Amino acid sequence: MAPEFVVRSESVDVEQIMKQIRQRIREKRGVDYTEDEIRELANVKLETFLDPSRVRSELLTYYRQAAAAPAGTLIPQAPPNYVFEDEMPYASSPGLGGRTIRLIRKLLNPLLKFFINPNPFIHVLNMQGQINAQNTRRIDHLLVAEQLNFEIIHNLVVEMTRLAIEVKNLKMRVESLSGRLDFTERRARALEAVVQYRPGSGPAAEGARSAAPAPGHGHPSRDSQPRRDSRPVREAQPAREAQRAREAPPAREAPPAREGEGQGGGVIKGEAQRARRRRRRRGGRGASDAPQAGGGPEGAEPKAEPLAVANGLNFDEPSGGERSQPDEGGREESAPPPAAAVPDEPTNQ
Amino acid sequence: MKLGVVVQRYGLDINGGAELHARYVAEHVSAHAEVEVLTTCARDYVTWRNDLPAGEETLNGLTVRRFPVGRERDVERFGRLSTRVFTGRHSVQDELAWLDAEGPTSRALISHIARHQAAYDYFIFFSFRYYHAYHGIRAAASRALLVPTAERDGAIGLSVFGPVFRGVRALLYNSFEERAMIEAVSGNTGVPHVVVGVGSEVPAHTNPARFRQKYGITGPFVVYVGRIDENKGCRELFDFFQQYSRSLRSEVTLVLMGNSILPIPDDPRIRHLGFVSDQDKFDGIAASDALIMPSYFESLSMVALEAWALGKPVLANGRCDVLQGQCLRSDAGLFYESLAEFVETLGLLQSNRRFAAHMGDNGREYFRRHYAWPVIVRKYMDTLDRLKAEDQAGRPRAGLEPLPGWFARRRISLPPSEDVVATLRSGPVRSSERRP
Repeated sequence: MAPEFVVRSESVDVEQIMKQIRQRIREKRGVDYTEDEIRELANVKLETFLDPSRVRSELLTYYRQAAAAPAGTLIPQAPPNYVFEDEMPYASSPGLGGRTIRLIRKLLNPLLKFFINPNPFIHVLNMQGQINAQNTRRIDHLLVAEQLNFEIIHNLVVEMTRLAIEVKNLKMRVESLSGRLDFTERRARALEAVVQYRPGSGPAAEGARSAAPAPGHGHPSRDSQPRRDSRPVREAQPAREAQRAREAPPAREAPPAREGEGQGGGVIKGEAQRARRRRRRRGGRGASDAPQAGGGPEGAEPKAEPLAVANGLNFDEPSGGERSQPDEGGREESAPPPAAAVPDEPTNQ
Repeated sequence: MKLGVVVQRYGLDINGGAELHARYVAEHVSAHAEVEVLTTCARDYVTWRNDLPAGEETLNGLTVRRFPVGRERDVERFGRLSTRVFTGRHSVQDELAWLDAEGPTSRALISHIARHQAAYDYFIFFSFRYYHAYHGIRAAASRALLVPTAERDGAIGLSVFGPVFRGVRALLYNSFEERAMIEAVSGNTGVPHVVVGVGSEVPAHTNPARFRQKYGITGPFVVYVGRIDENKGCRELFDFFQQYSRSLRSEVTLVLMGNSILPIPDDPRIRHLGFVSDQDKFDGIAASDALIMPSYFESLSMVALEAWALGKPVLANGRCDVLQGQCLRSDAGLFYESLAEFVETLGLLQSNRRFAAHMGDNGREYFRRHYAWPVIVRKYMDTLDRLKAEDQAGRPRAGLEPLPGWFARRRISLPPSEDVVATLRSGPVRSSERRP
């Protein structure tokens, strides 16, 4: 439950206010993690996923290096690829001497073919050059893809961490709401238990009456209402009805029962159930008089969920001063003074 | 008593933080002592080019002696040396070379201090990190007082400044956080010191309505005053403010005053007025709901003090220890370290006028109690009188530690200064100077 944010203006304590602000933020967002902290947590998770004992011993190091190193620097650069042409075995320098040697090689080529056939070598080397070029392109592409993969994994883990934190916060909130619901139910049961019935009324008597109704005598609903005093029912009734009418919201009020309404067991049973419901409600309201009830003023709705106003900040102004009213969001309305109305502000200089 | 105020630049049109600080102090202390300003001919703090004539002149009734700068700053060399000493293992000689490269290297100024030190009772040096302060203090340590104007950056971690902090006669700090940082890095707790800060020339009356009329601003607004720069936290401010504005559908406008070196978002809720006159600045602050100070590094925010003097609350970046400490001690400002805190704190200042007004009152009181000129001048004069009494009593002075020998200076044994700074304890100082 978010605490009310209280600032007593006449004694501003910034340290206290900042504590309250941070507390409020924590309770609104659950655990207050900064973006950096989420990333740090995500890195921890990533390390868990890439645990060297589970995956490959060098994979974590490799990913880290891949993330840190610029593209293409992690693997040593390969030497430049070669292009092998048919004429290359006979090539020489471009000068006159080179041209002469090339001519001699060409002339002796038929003689060479008596010993070995150079054509398959030329073909294989040519093919190898092409394969090398293709592999280089493929590796470059994989390196880029690998970095993208790392980015994706990293982002997924960050997002998962964020969601895990959110789930944790929501769980905490559900637990809190569940606890409060339990408390409310227990409180309702306890209040029901402390209701004192007049002799001859109450659920047991109602049960007996509904089992054997007297013909021509209906059960006015007000007769079945619980009494905590021993005064005659009719004496207190008009005032209570009027009070109830003032306090209870009309939409939730059960339809008033009339004298003589409902002959027969089924009707009487339904009437008794309605009476019980009313009794529960009245018990809740009546219990607010008791110290242990802990509720608001009699007949008031349960206190509004603080989280509903958690977006706004309510401030206690000094007594006697104007208290600005919070709007729906809990934030106080404040109209800025018009420009012309702003007075000159003398300083203490 | 004759005082020499030694500062890297000086002039009526020079508005750098430490320089303005020095001028204000010199002018106000001159009512109680004879003050002479010793400075360089530079006007530009990047190049230290000799823009002003050397020699003597009178400014606002004070004698100003200008000395030429020997050479302009070589920005590349300075950057290279900065990287070496801030991020790598280095030697004392590297640090001295860095200091030399930083400048302003005015040997004439240092020579004047060394030769004529007997003519002055004390020298008040401003900005520890520059050449003039380091060598000037070494030349006349027995008469040197230092106003460090230190920020939490790499320079504070350089080893050559340790003897300076330990060897001066007294230190006049800007803030408790600055004192804690320097004491931690140099162990100079035995040196007399006082946390002074600086006052500001805030006008007695402001005219918010005139400002609103002049710039056509009608609704509520918060104001930022200063250079619009990423280093000042402005990018983060724009981001946070736009998210605040959108998420809460707030009517508040962010008004920016100052030159921009950062693209300003095209947003109807953000108004950039450019560089404005002092009158507009003070009227604007007075018309605003609060001043926002998004800077990460400040040794003392004069504009925050001015806002407090005008009774306006401040919303500061909580990651700046000095600003956070001042907000806590004054109870006149809130601070944020995240978007959520920005939204909550600005929302609080916007939604509760009475609360904001009380914070403004606290700020006015804080300024009056600690930063009004009579208080500042009294602290200066008390410190000087104390030193004078010590001198007259013939109390021995510690003196400055000598530099290491030739070989020791060149031994690469010092850790990166940024590592040294990282080990220093950070955070605001809460208890001192607390509003009663």
